Amino acid sequence: MEVTTAAGGAFAYLWLLIGFPLAGAAILLFGGKRTNRWGHYVGTLAVVASAAYAVILLLALMGRSPEERTVVQHIADWIFINKFSASIALQLDQLSMVFVLLITIVGSLIHVYSIGYMKDDPDRRRFFGFLNLFVAAMLLLVLADNYLLLYAGWEGVGLASFLLIGFWQHKNSAAAAAKKAFVMNRIGDVGMSLGIMLIFVTFGSVTFSTVFDQAGEASDTTMTWIGLLLLLAACGKSAQFPLQAWLLDAMEGPTPVSALIHAATMVTAGVYLIVRSGPIFDQTIVASTVVVIIGTITMFLGAFIGSAKDEIKKALAGSTMSQIGYMILAAGLGPVGYVFAIFHLLTHGVFKANLFLGAGSVMHGMKNRENMRRYGALRAAMIVTWLSFMAATFAIMGIPPFSGFWSKDDIIHAAFEHNIIIGICAILAAGFTGFYMTRMLVMTFFGKARWEDDQHPHESPPVMTIPLIILGIGSIFTGIGLLFWGNIETWLEPVTGFETRELAIPAIVLEGITLLVVLVGAAVAIAMYRRSVAVEAPKGNVLVRAARNSMYDDAINDTIAVRPTYWLSRSLVWADRSVIDGIVGGSAAFVGGLSGRMRRLQSGFARSYALAMLGGAILVVVVMLLVRLP
Amino acid sequence: MSPSAYVVLAAILFTLGSVGVLVRRNAIVMFMSVEMMLNACNLAFVAFARMNGNLDGQVVAFFVMVVAAAEVVVGLAIIVTIFRTRRSASVDEPNLLKY
Amino acid sequence: MSGVLSASVVADTFTLPTIDYGALAPVLIVAAAAVIGVLVEAFAPRGARRPLQLVLVFGSLIAAFVAVVMHAGIRQLDGGGAVAIDGPGLVLQGAVLLISIVGAMLMAERMVDPAGDAFAARASTLPGSEDERQFSSRGFLQTEIWPLMLFAVTGMLLFPIANDLLLLFVALEVMSLPLYLLVGMARRRRLLSQEAALKYFILGSFSSAFFLFGSALLYGYSGSIKFGKIAEAIAGNPGQNMLILVGVGMVAVGLLFKIGAAPFHQWTPDVYQGAPTPVTAFMAAAVKVAAFGAILRVFYVIFGGLRWDWQPMLWVIAILTMLIGAIVAVTQTDVKRMLAYSSIAQAGFILLGVIAANPAGLRGAIFYLVAYAFTTLGTFAVVTLVRDSTGEATHLSKWAGLAKTSPLTATVFAIFLLSLAGIPLTSGFIGKFAVFTAAIEAGAMPLVIVALFASLIAAFVYGRVIVLMFFADPPADPPAVVVPSAFTTLAIAISVAVTVVLGIIPQPFLTLLEQAGVFIR
Repeated sequence: MEVTTAAGGAFAYLWLLIGFPLAGAAILLFGGKRTNRWGHYVGTLAVVASAAYAVILLLALMGRSPEERTVVQHIADWIFINKFSASIALQLDQLSMVFVLLITIVGSLIHVYSIGYMKDDPDRRRFFGFLNLFVAAMLLLVLADNYLLLYAGWEGVGLASFLLIGFWQHKNSAAAAAKKAFVMNRIGDVGMSLGIMLIFVTFGSVTFSTVFDQAGEASDTTMTWIGLLLLLAACGKSAQFPLQAWLLDAMEGPTPVSALIHAATMVTAGVYLIVRSGPIFDQTIVASTVVVIIGTITMFLGAFIGSAKDEIKKALAGSTMSQIGYMILAAGLGPVGYVFAIFHLLTHGVFKANLFLGAGSVMHGMKNRENMRRYGALRAAMIVTWLSFMAATFAIMGIPPFSGFWSKDDIIHAAFEHNIIIGICAILAAGFTGFYMTRMLVMTFFGKARWEDDQHPHESPPVMTIPLIILGIGSIFTGIGLLFWGNIETWLEPVTGFETRELAIPAIVLEGITLLVVLVGAAVAIAMYRRSVAVEAPKGNVLVRAARNSMYDDAINDTIAVRPTYWLSRSLVWADRSVIDGIVGGSAAFVGGLSGRMRRLQSGFARSYALAMLGGAILVVVVMLLVRLP
Repeated sequence: MSPSAYVVLAAILFTLGSVGVLVRRNAIVMFMSVEMMLNACNLAFVAFARMNGNLDGQVVAFFVMVVAAAEVVVGLAIIVTIFRTRRSASVDEPNLLKY
Repeated sequence: MSGVLSASVVADTFTLPTIDYGALAPVLIVAAAAVIGVLVEAFAPRGARRPLQLVLVFGSLIAAFVAVVMHAGIRQLDGGGAVAIDGPGLVLQGAVLLISIVGAMLMAERMVDPAGDAFAARASTLPGSEDERQFSSRGFLQTEIWPLMLFAVTGMLLFPIANDLLLLFVALEVMSLPLYLLVGMARRRRLLSQEAALKYFILGSFSSAFFLFGSALLYGYSGSIKFGKIAEAIAGNPGQNMLILVGVGMVAVGLLFKIGAAPFHQWTPDVYQGAPTPVTAFMAAAVKVAAFGAILRVFYVIFGGLRWDWQPMLWVIAILTMLIGAIVAVTQTDVKRMLAYSSIAQAGFILLGVIAANPAGLRGAIFYLVAYAFTTLGTFAVVTLVRDSTGEATHLSKWAGLAKTSPLTATVFAIFLLSLAGIPLTSGFIGKFAVFTAAIEAGAMPLVIVALFASLIAAFVYGRVIVLMFFADPPADPPAVVVPSAFTTLAIAISVAVTVVLGIIPQPFLTLLEQAGVFIR
């Protein structure tokens, strides 16, 4: 049994983790113009300070025996309504710890990178203020010891993300994207609020420890509902099907934002929520199955989107969706998968941040143009970026010994333990990952230069490349490090539980198959994009012809892989745009239309209002009599 | 005659008053209809006072009269202002605020 | 005072009820100040009126608030049972007084409009006439608004503590009549203002008639106008008849009108838009608190035993109110009108606390009311500041890019909108949470789901305005954000403070509500 200890020693200042970035945000946002000159340093320093403290905490935590690694710091009573109570209390355990490290360390690197990336932006100070605010909220989210406080952090990261997506106000698309993110996240929030309320009504508490201790006592139906509601929340925040559309648009924000918020940390909050609520999902086979299904769907959807987008950041966003799909899938598997979901989340946090920052570096050198069809042959111009991007690409594809190999392989393994179909899906999606990542790599760094005339690609300044180098090294070693040195499985086990089952197929065979599929995907991509890439994106019927044109000499040209893949990915992107977006956009339009109609009832004539009132009075009386009738 | 007949009468008067509010366009007439509704209430109160055998209802009726008088003052002030501005006491004419 | 009104007179004996004037001090102070205000209007020289009135208004409101605080422990029926001074009543009175103080600050503002304050120099002059111009150019200010406001506050103070139907009716009218007039007194866009006053008046008196007839039926049923006696009669006579059901319904109509519940809501947008903005702020906040106070008392105390009868009815009303308010707000283009529809939706959310019919619901509803009231004061206060040459720039397109020209104003407005949307760490979230959990506890889960759905739509409305302010380009002729005097600045500061503090440390207020307990009979 786990022992919860009060915060003392190194843990006495747990709140400082959040305090540093929060203070940074306050200084930057309220300090006004006078902080313009040095504001970004303050912002970076605040996060670095948190990261340093996080490392100290990690060491202190490792010094304790595994059962005593849950530290709770009670800061203040917050709300007591009748029986309901929630306090402002932080809980640091093995799970929060790894998140804190990810957030603060990757966060620090991204802050440093942003100093260079946002150098010419007149609003750099405000940008750092928002980033700090985000880090503080994200830390609150993972350190909260109850659902309500978690919800506060949840909304906080949403708000910061919203502000940062719309940061470049001069882009109209940025405003639209911010609005979309806001609305879709609110849909998730409905699930979150209902879920929390249901948890409270069921268990009389929202504190994690109390809720999880009683998780076995509630009825299956209740647990299923709670699970589904929390899943809805997770879908909103983590861009999972059917609430995924906002993530692509969110790429309107500055690239460091995409890296930090929309790749490494915030979008993984849904995974955190599900893993954290593990004891709830363990009770309900229905909800956890739905989690697996949602994860699987998104895994493919994201992969298709990633394969079809020409804008480098959007392709990466599709890949993020897909990878989070992996994590959600793993989280849905229960104790078999929780550890691997978090493991993949961590490695993904590193290599995806690397990819985004790399993309940012490329864009930095290419006058902020995103179209990969206008890239090509950039490896000579930006060597550091290329190498780090390549490391991250191998990592995400799962090439041994890069970090993604270890984590993704574990998920595939766990999926096979669960269900062979899900396992095959996971392997197939890995093949897609191989395809779209190689496509990206080839289109950007290899092949012929397809630059527009005014382009003079150049490497980014050291302030940007050093974080890239660090992340690149991280992309290589995080997996091995966490697995063999960090013992991630035993580390997380007290919180999430951990079990393995025997598999019919030996692990090494499975790994071999996976690798083979990935390499096939990569080979297809190389075959398609090595020689030449059309500068204009093929559309509609032209699509097939163009695809053929670009691959004339290739034997694989007309084979099974290419055309179906292309067709499938295009049509799925279409489905995503028009059907899924259509549902959300359609319901918005429906409400808008309804609103337009209903406001006509407000005719401006006092007498018609009086008529409505009389009708209302009759309604009131009739309802009262009807209730009495039977 | 039983007091309940007065209650029925009050209900009829109240209904007539509310129909008056709905169908008449002139603000003054509408307002008179509202007054009629208030007086229907008074009648009901008095009838019920009689039925219940206490005086509360009658006291209420007096207070309602006072309140109605105050309402007249306010109401006429507003209606007169509107009339002076628009040269009409129709309630359908002021129709700028809508939707 | 009011005790005489309702003293039971049986045959030929007449017992004079005892009245504890001390306990009624808050009401008496404000009423007295209102009367003195009228005398000031009659006898004081023109130049001295405004300072005198301001001293009277703020002096009496603060004194009344102090009296409320001093009475914090009192739980008694007074005036022969006509008023019930109890915990919730006192909290609501205190809230009304604080809201009125902030509202009065907004009404006292003279810096934002170059021509003077928000009120017509002479309400009797014709819009656009030579008279109007002359009065205006001579810098005349209308000081009659102050006694009117104090009378309205008197009514609002009585409304939540009234414990018999007659006093409730009188309080309703004392509250409403001055407001009808205040609504019609805008300095600019006077046609709209007068139209709003006319509509408000006609519909308001129409609803009063319903209320009164319902009261008559309740009286006929129970033989008493006292809440406690009616409740006893209901409890003692389980076999219902038409009288009581129709009576409850019609009383409800009168009260629901005041809070702007659908389908009795249609006056709200017109009146909120037409009224001078400080008055809109004041009435949107204070009337809602007072009227909900009365609704809570009526439904908890009198109709408590009938809850299985009225709960379905309020379900219907609440669903209509939430959905209509939220949905119609989506297509609004005028910021005041949009806020009016949002206030309708908010009223629907608060109704959930009434429907819950448990102590948690009572507390949640009061918390929500106070949170909502201050947020609303703040939003309308910000609206008074964003102006162009024709006065307030209320069209939403004018608000585009406000964050660029005036980041502070935009941020403050965004905080209020986030609170209205119910985002955590704002007062609106705690309010929603308290009310919704109370409703779930009472088994109204479907209603809470509808409420969350409605708040999702409402969040879209607020989010749209935030996006507009922060991420859109300003229009060609952007409005200016006026720097107000200390009055409005302080009012906005208080509103922001309450919104944020109640969101982050709600506990002291929740504890206060806990101590306040429930209504007494």
